[in-house]
Amino acid sequence: MLRNRVKELRARYSYTQSELGKRVDVTRQTIAFIEKGEFSPSITLALKLAQVLETKVDELFWLEGEEEDEK
Amino acid sequence: MKNDIRLNYPIWMMAFIVLLGVFAYGINSPTREWVNSSTETSLTVKVEALEGFMVFASLLLYIILLTVFLWKVKKHNTENPKQKISIWSIRPPEYLEQDEGMTHITRIAVQKVYTFITWSLPMLATVAILLPLPRLMLIYGILAVAFGQYLVYYLEIRKHLKEETE
Repeated sequence: MLRNRVKELRARYSYTQSELGKRVDVTRQTIAFIEKGEFSPSITLALKLAQVLETKVDELFWLEGEEEDEK
Repeated sequence: MKNDIRLNYPIWMMAFIVLLGVFAYGINSPTREWVNSSTETSLTVKVEALEGFMVFASLLLYIILLTVFLWKVKKHNTENPKQKISIWSIRPPEYLEQDEGMTHITRIAVQKVYTFITWSLPMLATVAILLPLPRLMLIYGILAVAFGQYLVYYLEIRKHLKEETE
């Protein structure tokens, strides 16, 4: 399963789900699905999210089982 | 999102199906007397008060609901010129495909509907073959499958779109 830090980084930039969604051109619901781990985004969307949240894709997303402390 | 007609479309369809069921009861219940003799040819249809009322009320409600529904579709199309709904489209308007996340939940819901149809239609056909069901019961069986598919779709989409705090 894909884990992520979208919610954490979004909070750091004080973005709401709607604001982040607008910046990456998706709905608020899609951001919520990603944060809850219900949905794994495409590479394109993952890159857009990493760009907006000023981080690397592999720091934003990782596979369950990988060491989370490294993130 | 919760007021989006595409999300509520299955509810509208379920309401129309229920009305169709009431209408079917009213229209199928009258007693018919067919006389064809050497001196007389006549067809007498007796509609009882209750059945007549059901036909009239369901038709009236249908027209009212249809008017409100068409007004809501028009409102949606005015507010969302890039995501217009056509009531004549073959593609079901309840599909939510604004982005990849919405497409994902639509796919899950459609898979569940497909599973439901895969089981319910053969079951209905088997029951219809084995049991001497009256015409009205067959109509209700078909309407139940149609109602069920919208219910399965709506509940699945609804489950994913429960409003969360931002």
